[in-house]
Amino acid sequence: MKVSLSWLKDYVDVDVDVNQLAHALTMTGLEVESVTDQYACLDSVVVGRIVDISPHPNADKLSICNVDAGEGFRSIVCGAPNIRVGNLVPVALPGTELPSGITVREAAIRGEMSHGMLCSEAELGLGDATSGILILSDTARPGTRVKAAMSLSDTLMEIDLTPNRSDCLSFLGIAREIAAILKKDLNYPKIQLPSGDRSVSEQTSVIIEAPEHCFRYAARLISGVKIGTSPFWLRSRLESIGLRSINNVVDVTNFVLMEYGQPLHAFDFDRLEEHRIVVRTAKEGEQFTTLDGVERKLSSDMLVICDGRKPVALAGVIGGLNSEVVTETKNILIESAYFNPISIRRTAKRLGLKTESSHRFERGVDPRGVISALDRAARLMLETAGGSMAKGVIDEYPRPTSQRVISLSVSRTNRLLGTKLSAVAIADHLGSIELNVKISDNDHLEVTPPTFRVDLERPVDLMEEVARLEGYDKIATTYPIAPVTSNKPIQRLPCRKSLFASLAGCGFSQIITYSFIAERSCDQLLVSSDDSRRRMVRILNPLTEDQTVMRTSLIPGLLNTMVHNRNQNNEDLKIFESGKVFFHTKEDTLPEEVEMISGLWTGSRRERSWHAGATTVDFYDIKGVVERMLDGLNVPSVHFRKPGDYARIPYLKRGYSAEIFSGEVYLGEVGEISVDVLKNFDLNKPVFIFDLNFDILLSQISEVKSSKGFSRFPAVSRDLALILDNTVEVQGITDYLKGLGEDLIEYIEIFDVYEGKPIPQGKKSVAFRIIYRSPEKTLEDAEVNDLHEEISKKVLEHFKAELRPS
Amino acid sequence: MKAELEKIEKEALALLKTDLSLDEIKALQVKYLGRKGLITGCLRNISSLPQEERPKIGLLANKVKKLLEEAFRKALKEYSAKEKRPEAGIDVTLPGRPLLRGTLHPITQIMREISDIFSRLGFEILEGPDIESDYYNFEALNLPKDHPARDMQDTFYISENVVLRTHTSPIQIRTMEKKQPPIRMIGPGKAYRVDSDISHTPMFHQAEGLMVDENVSFGDLKGMLTIFVHQMFDETTSIRFRPSFFPFTEPSAEVDIECVICRGKGCRVCSHTGWLEILGAGMVDPAVFKYVGYDTDRYTGFAFGMGIERIAMLRYGIEDIRKLYENDIRFLHQF
Ligand SMILES: [Zn+2]
Repeated sequence: MKVSLSWLKDYVDVDVDVNQLAHALTMTGLEVESVTDQYACLDSVVVGRIVDISPHPNADKLSICNVDAGEGFRSIVCGAPNIRVGNLVPVALPGTELPSGITVREAAIRGEMSHGMLCSEAELGLGDATSGILILSDTARPGTRVKAAMSLSDTLMEIDLTPNRSDCLSFLGIAREIAAILKKDLNYPKIQLPSGDRSVSEQTSVIIEAPEHCFRYAARLISGVKIGTSPFWLRSRLESIGLRSINNVVDVTNFVLMEYGQPLHAFDFDRLEEHRIVVRTAKEGEQFTTLDGVERKLSSDMLVICDGRKPVALAGVIGGLNSEVVTETKNILIESAYFNPISIRRTAKRLGLKTESSHRFERGVDPRGVISALDRAARLMLETAGGSMAKGVIDEYPRPTSQRVISLSVSRTNRLLGTKLSAVAIADHLGSIELNVKISDNDHLEVTPPTFRVDLERPVDLMEEVARLEGYDKIATTYPIAPVTSNKPIQRLPCRKSLFASLAGCGFSQIITYSFIAERSCDQLLVSSDDSRRRMVRILNPLTEDQTVMRTSLIPGLLNTMVHNRNQNNEDLKIFESGKVFFHTKEDTLPEEVEMISGLWTGSRRERSWHAGATTVDFYDIKGVVERMLDGLNVPSVHFRKPGDYARIPYLKRGYSAEIFSGEVYLGEVGEISVDVLKNFDLNKPVFIFDLNFDILLSQISEVKSSKGFSRFPAVSRDLALILDNTVEVQGITDYLKGLGEDLIEYIEIFDVYEGKPIPQGKKSVAFRIIYRSPEKTLEDAEVNDLHEEISKKVLEHFKAELRPS
Repeated sequence: MKAELEKIEKEALALLKTDLSLDEIKALQVKYLGRKGLITGCLRNISSLPQEERPKIGLLANKVKKLLEEAFRKALKEYSAKEKRPEAGIDVTLPGRPLLRGTLHPITQIMREISDIFSRLGFEILEGPDIESDYYNFEALNLPKDHPARDMQDTFYISENVVLRTHTSPIQIRTMEKKQPPIRMIGPGKAYRVDSDISHTPMFHQAEGLMVDENVSFGDLKGMLTIFVHQMFDETTSIRFRPSFFPFTEPSAEVDIECVICRGKGCRVCSHTGWLEILGAGMVDPAVFKYVGYDTDRYTGFAFGMGIERIAMLRYGIEDIRKLYENDIRFLHQF
């Protein structure tokens, strides 16, 4: 909310510097976001002395003035007749943006250059006079700022109000806080109304048909007004806080809205059919054109203000075009009401309308303040628009507000805040903001909050007031005394940490991408229509096309990150992401969330350096990374299988990808992205990825690590070089060797795999080094030779292999 | 014998051409020219040759001996000369064989730091779902439907009662539902709001904290957060609490720290106030305790929440929040 300091001073004496005031307000919960000079726009308007006036050669009504503006003489074209040589006048220097929005420029006017502009009162936003240039007093010195010469100063504060403080959506509300801070009195406007002529009840009536939506409705009648522009004081008050002046009657309602925080509405009384008001809910589908010219369709839970026949306003939100105050209006009915906050909020939200009025009603206005605001508006209307007031006031009040009495315990207040305040100190704080406090005994206060403090309902609400008025900075900083308790961390934390460490150690950097992705992502990955990853959770109100669904895979995020980096010429990439994917389950229920960890490697295998040329990453590089991650987590029996089919992983390149298992439990996959999918992401370089289900991984981790003894005797190794069909998987051979149950085999190393000449086509050569060792003795050569020969024979036979000639 | 001498000569000269250490040269010298060396051996064996061959072989053997002696002298001289030359050896300024350092995302690093600080204070780290029910995200946090405070958070909706959580506060509710006080927990995670500009991304990270016990006071909240700020930033960083409003805490506070850029003097980052807002906090509203069935006469507690992005941006001098989610590798490698 914007407040002007000079306006605030109408209600409270501010005798501190504005920055001190802003700080004090911030520290009591009214955060001052900015403090600005109201007349900043006049910074480049200076005092000038007219030294010469000569006629414009090309225009009868214009003249050319030579002006001493302090720093030298300026030639300025001017059309006003009231200036004389020797006059001191305001000169807007080129670049000035005047309150009207016009920017002053150096320009030729009818062929003559003008280096600035002489201004009228109205052009400077300082008054009504538009006819002539403002003539300043003789004491002003040319070149000084007009602001200084006229002693213009006002400060605007922008206050960021929290939603609970509806009482501060007004100048009086903020002045009340200031009065409490500065320990001053709050001066309410003095309202004296004429007794009035014909009784209001003879001329009109108000019927509330929906008391659950409208708790109170008051009205006054003024007849014989003359609609016109508002006086300068009223316009400048409104304009100072950024409100547009409309006419004297509407301006008064807006002024009182700002002053009291009570929204008011002025109806053209003669346009109300049957000259009466009915407050009822709308009929379903009823049409109504609001003040902004929009025709709206209403629903049955919206509250409307009607005349004898039709709606004339959307209660608490906006008026209707059909009852608007216009130039010809003679008689006015002023409405001041209290509407149910929830009802106003629903209506405003449903219609997508947010007005100064609805903003206050939905937060709650002061039900008791309805009449004073109405009286104030009537008084100001009589002053600014003339006319005479009908005798009396209509006040329909079907749901009178009861005043709550809250019992506050001093000891509980001190326990919550960590303070040692006395009952008297607490009572003083609460009293300073117009709460009625009775001290019942040493520990109990009976507190009655005023009706404008709709946020004060419970003892804890009062404790907060005490804390904020005492000052949070005055509450001592203490440290809790708590019993020692400790829990083992949830399993996923250390496991995540271990994976992150392995990956960073392998040179992978962590990325974080948005959890929502484009719906087309599944198509880009070629995922089939019955795949679970199509069970996407859709966002009803997405920000962009690319963020419409929750991701069901981390792979699109990795590939899109690669696209971004490729566009920045970052060709080598080792990245991973750890995060959740989401699967739709049932309508209006929480989806299934699964944590994944996935990585991408593209470009060079090693960092480019002088030691070796760049080589490109391949399947075995990324497989190595996965092996290291899983080993770091102690996942048992990890193995990689050639996929039976690619239905689950359609985005991976056939023949170059593997499924990862722990025993028979599927963990995820590793491999190369297929060419078709690369194309869908507009990529063309080989990309290797891994994609692991972290939740399943967690269930497989063995926490037990145990030490085994090892032999003290030397090992003997023998090589076994085979030539066999290139379709035979090496793991089959090592598994077979391990399966032989030979205790002396300690370890099997694959040290060479080769295809090509001189190996015949369709065959490959695989060389194993078998390390033999006994836990009990040094093995004899002969013994090992016999065993190795026996093993070799079995392998050759089982795999239909030949020995590779050495 | 002749062939043998020729072989020794050839072999020794070849060896001397290789890159040898001083000890290796000396050892070879002994091997060839020493008292029990190969040449000496040959000279000794001359006596066993037929008379007519002796002079010829003797001459040859002495020639080889002289040649090798000369070669070893030269090798030793060269070696010591090489030793004295300052540019000798390898160029140690060439870069070593690179081992790429992978980095953790700055958000992860800051989150860990926050979690670690509170872990040391006995807070348990807990997580919760990103997609939440209206109940956990709003209602149980004292934000009933039609409450104006719901406007404070622009929500992504999945359906009428399912939302992307707008804060990590639902973790508090889920924790309190599961166990009775005393509770000390910290809940880091992602949150989502319909907001995207230079200082907001539609997805962001928060850490949520909660302590509930008998006699936990607002003063204690100040104490705990002061410890946090002093560890997260430094011991001299001032901290200030000012009144604010959150539906789930009362009293509520915004917590500012002294601007880490200008040390309170006022700069662009702190909008010339000298203060930076980094935390929202307060005493848990009794209405929230009622939702989870805690005895409000017996227990009090405090809760706080902070934006990780803000802290990361301050810590690392990141000016545009969107940099965090572009994942440019040149950016990521800086952390
Ligand atoms: Zn600063």
